[in-house]
Formats: sequence, structure tokens, C-alpha cells
Amino acid sequence: MNPIGTEPYIVLSMVLFLMGALGVLMRRNAILLFMSVELMLNSANLALVAFAREWGQVNGHVFVFFVMTVAAAEVAIGLALIVNIFRERQSINIDELRQMQG
Amino acid sequence: MEWLFLVVSFVAVLAAGMMLTRQNAVHSALFLIVNFGCVAFLYLMLDAPFLAMVQVTVYTGAIMVLFLFVIMLLGAEATTDTSGRMRWLGFAGTAVAIILLLIFAFPLASDMLTDEIVEPPETSARLRVINAIPGGDSESVTIMDMGRSITLEGIVTGSVLFDGTDDALDDLRIDDVVYDYGRDATQHYTVLPAGEYNVIAGVELAGFATSPLLIEAVTLTADSAHSVVFYENVEGIVDVVLMEDDVSAPAVGKMRLTVFNAVTDKQVSLIDIGQYTTRGSLCEDDSCSSLIPHRVLIEELPAGQQTSLELEEGSYNLAFVDQDQAVLRTLADYGAERGIIETRVFVREPGVPGSEPSYRAAVFNAIAIPAFGSPEAVGQVLFIEYVLPVMLVGMLLLVALIGVIVLARPDALAQAERRRINRRRRVNRPLVSVISQQTGSDVLSGDYMAKLTGGSDDSADD
Repeated sequence: MNPIGTEPYIVLSMVLFLMGALGVLMRRNAILLFMSVELMLNSANLALVAFAREWGQVNGHVFVFFVMTVAAAEVAIGLALIVNIFRERQSINIDELRQMQG
Repeated sequence: MEWLFLVVSFVAVLAAGMMLTRQNAVHSALFLIVNFGCVAFLYLMLDAPFLAMVQVTVYTGAIMVLFLFVIMLLGAEATTDTSGRMRWLGFAGTAVAIILLLIFAFPLASDMLTDEIVEPPETSARLRVINAIPGGDSESVTIMDMGRSITLEGIVTGSVLFDGTDDALDDLRIDDVVYDYGRDATQHYTVLPAGEYNVIAGVELAGFATSPLLIEAVTLTADSAHSVVFYENVEGIVDVVLMEDDVSAPAVGKMRLTVFNAVTDKQVSLIDIGQYTTRGSLCEDDSCSSLIPHRVLIEELPAGQQTSLELEEGSYNLAFVDQDQAVLRTLADYGAERGIIETRVFVREPGVPGSEPSYRAAVFNAIAIPAFGSPEAVGQVLFIEYVLPVMLVGMLLLVALIGVIVLARPDALAQAERRRINRRRRVNRPLVSVISQQTGSDVLSGDYMAKLTGGSDDSADD
């Protein structure tokens, strides 16, 4: 029924992961940084689901479920931090947040 | 199918690229939603409908709404990405990405993945015993496994399949009496590792085991289910058959009914007689020239065989008839519930010899194995195998919730500032007394004190 093998999904997940990594490196906006991290998590999830189908086991799906939960918690905390930083500094450009730089 | 994958993945990559390059953060977030939607579609194509729905609700719903809300709350749509100092990071990032892509793509391109593919680990197969020997109260059936033919210098190891407990693979000796299955007894499926088995089944009469009636080499594949059915053939000799059960989930809104005919001198048909109440025969009149209206569900099932059908949800009047249209047994108001898998073994009731035989359709239920990736399948693994991680993740979410509430207190920053100032004041006050001790003058009174405290307030600012 499903003639597409696992490899194309892995390649797609790879491409999406690298685009997310690129976003983390290139963008200076903290919110966009977060969105790039979400993109990376999502691509990892895609690989997990593809491998779950390859092996015919549901454990991969369960891990994706956990990743989603952790991502939700991470986004909530991260955005709260960003809001606080913006209140104090009036900016979310991560290059300007240098007070912890040695 | 392939073009669908290509289109969806192209849109996903395109949306990710647009997300990376947009200057307006709101546009970026909207493109990320498109990307998440594409990934949800790919989950559907990967037989993960439950995760696809979770992806839509959690990612494209909750998380992205949170992102958009924060972007608009802060008014941070126009991003300030113009710090020239870090421009080289972009080029470095692109270079690293391309190198990583080449490294990752190398095994795929050289077919490393496909060459070294291993078989998926074997999961569980299931086996059960159905004793349909009429009147066999004193008879019990045994079933054992002569070993999975692990040939080490010709030694065949053996293990007993059924020992009456749940740990079916105890190290019992091969000639142990394994389990007494009384009349009409069944037990839920015993879970065994998948693999090759030599199933041996026999009957025990008053403590003496007969020679094996069935020796069958069978491959129990993962997620399959088999039944060993004992029944009596027309000569009154116990016969046994191993049959595979279809335990996949029935179609939506239907139940699966499997009928096994254990009456050896009859070919049983199962019919749906609608509103007609039952009588001894299907014939409208004595000459049997016409039959009452009915719908044949199973036609002339020979003895020792089974067949299955799927029934729509609802109530039925079913009847078992033999090849002469005589009604052997009726099932009035038979309620078909969706999702149920039921096995009916059609047996002769033990009766007084010479009297009119009566028949019964004994019920044996099975549990459906949920389809791969369905909410049932994921839920079973999640709440049975992974209960502890689920609880830990729940704790994590609770901690995150509390953390967000603490972080989002409106006066959190102001309080921190006040605390900082208070700490400095406390440090400054002893200094005054130190000075007064060192100079010997009473600096804590009069104009001197006012000057000092004014001075200390000034010095607190640097």
C-alpha cells in the first residue's frame, strides 16, 4: 500500500534538521531561534516515525509523543524567559544579550 | 503515492526555507505552521494517524499560537538581524550544514542502510487451547512444545507451552502434565516468543495420556494468534486441529464472527432468519418445496474447519442449520457489538445415548490486536510499557507550569531590583559605624551623619 521506503523520509528529515540548525546559527532573533529549534525537533520526530514503521514497532511513536511533550514545556518556559528579557532590555536580539559573556 | 510524497516534502522544505529567510517574525511563524502541517501529512503516510492528529493539535495548534501570541505581545515583528559583527556565522553555518548533509547522505547514497538491514526483532505470538470434546468431563487435553529444534549436537530442547499459569515457559520437563483443560475450557491466549514450534497435542483419559494426536511443525509469526481445537469426530475419536485466528481489528462498525464446526457428521450453515421465529426446519411446509426467507452467512461448513465473517453492528436472529435444512440451534437476538472478535465452536451437547442430540455454539472471545499506529496501539504501549516515563513527563510539565507562572509574575523584575537595592543598603550601614570607630568622632549624630548618609547614597550608584 505504501511503496515509499524509509530512506526518502530520512533524507527529508535530514534536510529539515539542517535547515533548523542553519536557522539557529544565522538568525539573531530569539523567537526565530526557538522556531528553528522546533523545526529540528520535528525533523527528529519524522525520522523516529519513519523508523517505527520500518521496524513495525510502536515504541518510536511513544518517543515522538514524549518529544512533543518536552517541546511544549520547553516552548512555554523559553517564551516566558523571552518576554522577561524583552521587558528588561527592550530587545530580543541575542547578540545584545552579552552580560553573561566572560 | 510517490508524487504525493514529493509534493508534500517539497512544500515542507520550501516552507522551512521561507521561515528562515523572512524578516517579519509573524510570516516566519506562519510558514512554520505550513511546515508542521506537511509533517503531519507525512505522519499519515507513515501509518501514524494518532501522531498526525497530535501534531496538528499540539504543534500547529498550541505551540504556534503561543509563538504568534508572544511575537505580537512584544511587537517584535520586525527583527533586528543586522548585526554586522556576526555575519560570518551565517556563512559558517551554511558551510557546516552542507558538510553535514554530505556526511549524512553518504551512507544512504552508498546503500549502506539497505545492505545491513536486519530482520525486525521477533515479538509475541499467541496460542490458545479450545476443548470442544462433548461430555469429556473426565478428559483433559494437554499440549506441549517439543522444542524449537535448537540443534546442538542433535539435542532437542523442549519446553512446555501451557503449565496453567501465565509464565508459560517455565522449565518443566517435557513429560510433565501440563494443564488440564476441562470441557469447553479455554484460556486466554498464552503469549510466546515468535518462532518455529513443534506443537504436540494429546488427550489424557483418567490419568493416562494417549499418544499425541497432533504433531505439527508450525511457524508462529509475530502478532499472529493460533487456536488448538479439540473435538470429537463422527466415530467418537478425539481429533485436534491447529488453526490460525484472524485477530486483526474488524472493519469500523463491524464485529468478526468465526465459526468452527466441531460436529463431524453435519455440514453446518449459519443463516440470518430475520424476523422469523424458529422452528424445527427452514421449510415453509412439510414437503420442503419452499424455504422461509433467510440470508446465508456461512454455507455448508464441513467438520473440523472454520470460517469467519464480519457482521454489521446490530441485533440478529441467527440459526445453525444442517445440509437438510433442519435447524440445529438458534441464536435469538444475537447482539453484534462493534470491534468484538468472537469464536463460536459448534458442538454436540453430551446427552443420553439414543436420544435426540442437541447442539450448542460455545463462545470463545478473542481480543483484537489494534492496528499499527492507531490510538489503541500507542496507548497500550504508552500506559503499559512506559508508565514511569509518562509520569515523569507529567511531573516535567507540572514543573514547567510552575516555572512559567513564577517567570511571568508582573512584578518579578521590580522585586528583584528592590532586593538588590536593599542588599546594598544593608552593606552600607555598618560602614558608617566603622568610620565612626576609626575617626573617634560621633559621626552617627548631627550634620555629619546627614552628610555621610547622603554620600553613601551617591556612592551606591556606581
